[in-house]
Amino acid sequence: MIFQLVRSLHTGPICRAAESSLLAKLRKKTGYTIANCKKALEMHNNDTDKAETWLNEQAQAMGWAKATKLAGRSALQGLVAVKFDKNHGALVELNCETDFVAKNDKFQKMIEDATMACFKFAHTNMQSKGPVTKMELDSEQLGNLAAEGGKKLSEILALFIGSVGENAVLRRAECWKANNSDVKIAGYTHPAPSVLGDYSAGKYGALLAYRQANDHEDIGKQLCQHIVGCAPTKIGDKEADKPAKNSDDETCLIYQEYLLDPSFTVDEVLQQNNVEVIDYVRFSCGEVAEASMPGVEKQPLDTVQTVQ
Amino acid sequence: MATISFAKSVVNPALKLILKQNHCSHLLNTNGLPVLTPLSLVLRRNYAEKQVFERTKPHCNVGTIGHVDHGKTTLTAAITKVLSDLNLAQKKGYTDIDNAPEEKARGITINVAHVEYQTEQRHYGHTDCPGHADYIKNMITGTAQMDGAILVVAATDGVMPQTREHLLLAKQIGIQHVVVFINKVDAADEEMVELVEMEIRELMTEMGYDGDNTPVIKEGKSPEIGAEAINKLLQEVDSFIPTPVRELDKPFLMPVESVHSIPGRGTVITGRLHRGVLKKGTECEIVGHGKTMKTTVTGVEMFHKTLDEAQAGDQLGALVRSIKREQIKRGMVMAKPGTVKAHDNVEAAVYILSKEEGGRSKPFTSFIQLQMFSMTWDCATQVNIPDKEMVMPGEDATLQLRLLKPMVCEAGQRFTLRLGDLTLGTGVVTKINKNLSEEERIKLLEGKKAREKASAKK
Repeated sequence: MIFQLVRSLHTGPICRAAESSLLAKLRKKTGYTIANCKKALEMHNNDTDKAETWLNEQAQAMGWAKATKLAGRSALQGLVAVKFDKNHGALVELNCETDFVAKNDKFQKMIEDATMACFKFAHTNMQSKGPVTKMELDSEQLGNLAAEGGKKLSEILALFIGSVGENAVLRRAECWKANNSDVKIAGYTHPAPSVLGDYSAGKYGALLAYRQANDHEDIGKQLCQHIVGCAPTKIGDKEADKPAKNSDDETCLIYQEYLLDPSFTVDEVLQQNNVEVIDYVRFSCGEVAEASMPGVEKQPLDTVQTVQ
Repeated sequence: MATISFAKSVVNPALKLILKQNHCSHLLNTNGLPVLTPLSLVLRRNYAEKQVFERTKPHCNVGTIGHVDHGKTTLTAAITKVLSDLNLAQKKGYTDIDNAPEEKARGITINVAHVEYQTEQRHYGHTDCPGHADYIKNMITGTAQMDGAILVVAATDGVMPQTREHLLLAKQIGIQHVVVFINKVDAADEEMVELVEMEIRELMTEMGYDGDNTPVIKEGKSPEIGAEAINKLLQEVDSFIPTPVRELDKPFLMPVESVHSIPGRGTVITGRLHRGVLKKGTECEIVGHGKTMKTTVTGVEMFHKTLDEAQAGDQLGALVRSIKREQIKRGMVMAKPGTVKAHDNVEAAVYILSKEEGGRSKPFTSFIQLQMFSMTWDCATQVNIPDKEMVMPGEDATLQLRLLKPMVCEAGQRFTLRLGDLTLGTGVVTKINKNLSEEERIKLLEGKKAREKASAKK
């Protein structure tokens, strides 16, 4: 009550009230910070339309300025998103400073845009060589991709940083394309959405390329879930690798206990279902990226890396 | 030596650590003693000289939430500075609070800055909330609690997209009372501040708080926050955030640790009084293992001496009327009649330990059977994960727990989940669901068989 009284005292003069509502309107409409809305109104003699145009024009520059200012701060929270169809897959990691931001709609829209851009890239820009064409994108290359509407991802990111005032980084991405019709791609993120689609985002994500004859139940998604859950470091070769003594310490995919039924090893499950795992990649949000991709040199956008 | 001891009596315990090191090096330089001797000596002496916590005021836990750049830590530092002038707190610098080291409490790594201070009315524990998942973990493991929160917003930015998420966290962890602190007012003008205030009230109302009556305090002077605003803030915190009910004032509850039969006297139940006050002649109810019995406490003893009144925290023996030793088992709970009930279907917020914290390296899925330990009882429990397909180590989750037999559970009760010789996680009961019907209970066991059959078919 007291505060309302004080407030009504403050908004005494009528002209002030009018201005205030202009500011409120502009802020509500555009969502830019109050200080910027105020500045815009002052510059354009309270003309809301002009102020809005100016704000929209300035937003990109302000976003860049904010992004540059915050660039040094560590951003280890965020999301990993995956989008795939039968022959293409994209896995993207976007980081931010606090997990509050990662829960925000704007952040989720941002990572969806980025994932779609990568998915499109996998469709259009990758040459066919071998069974699976893989491409790893780093932060810079990712920023150069164009999202829907022609804007660069780095520009969208700068706008986002300007809006939330926290650092955010397009960390890395994987774009995959299967070149043979018998090779399939599956993706999974954890936590998985209640309704499974071909796009999802979570703290962990994986892409898997596998070969499976059609006469068996498709277990690509389940294998992906296993990879997300049990974090194998390599597929493993029956001749070269030996199973670990303690099954909990096993790092070879084929020797691990199958997550969804620990009475089988993954290898047994693969054989039962007639599946051949060609390759996989797993992202855990916030992990040190270099450690997970040893020995991979940075490549320009137009070259591709192939396996097998 | 004299100067050192004088310095120590002046300097507070938190700074003692630094002093300790200086002290050591000083000794080393002058005497050339071996490293270990002076260090251990000093350590022991410091413990003996620790300040005694005086419980004169009710205690309350508060915390700051808000955007990373809006001045949460600056505000906390300013509170301690202003109160230290009144001799009610130790002054803490920005860096002391901001660089709180990761602590390892009970094997779980926590990341939280804890500051204590007091006002004329109350004693406060103040937490800075680092992130959503971090805070949920702290709440579940009991390392940090909040009875109320201070939402910090900068007047220059106003409500940010993630402010909604900050309030959502407050809501989720059950904070009923939020005080708003608008910071950096000097960088804005009156009109902007008003707008910010309006927006916050609007958002709070939208999030289910009483936005119109929420106290809002405004302050400008950067980089330091003025004493006037701090005093105003603390006044509001004092009056707006209610003092939590002390354990002592709640109805009594004692988990049964062991039962003895003493010839000529009857049955004695021993245990630690969890909460409340227990007097001779009190009516009580003994619940657990599927049984409920009513009786009267005819005597209370501690260290073989009779006691008129035992208080929460006392380790005691209670003599009960007309109940045989065989009727009572460890794991039951003795409480005020009607205050506790046995349940076998609860919902809980659980934190699953990461491998480094002693947990499992693998995630688990629904239908895993774990052993649940709480108070003095333990019971096999079937786990159901309603909103995820699996739970990864180092993650928090909501779990539905179905106990094989009804045990005393209530909202807010803490427990541990174990699998074999591993502690998988720790949690707190959030909701009591309707008890399982006979059918469901049979299904609990049958379902397992059916699943085994299904997997055998594979």
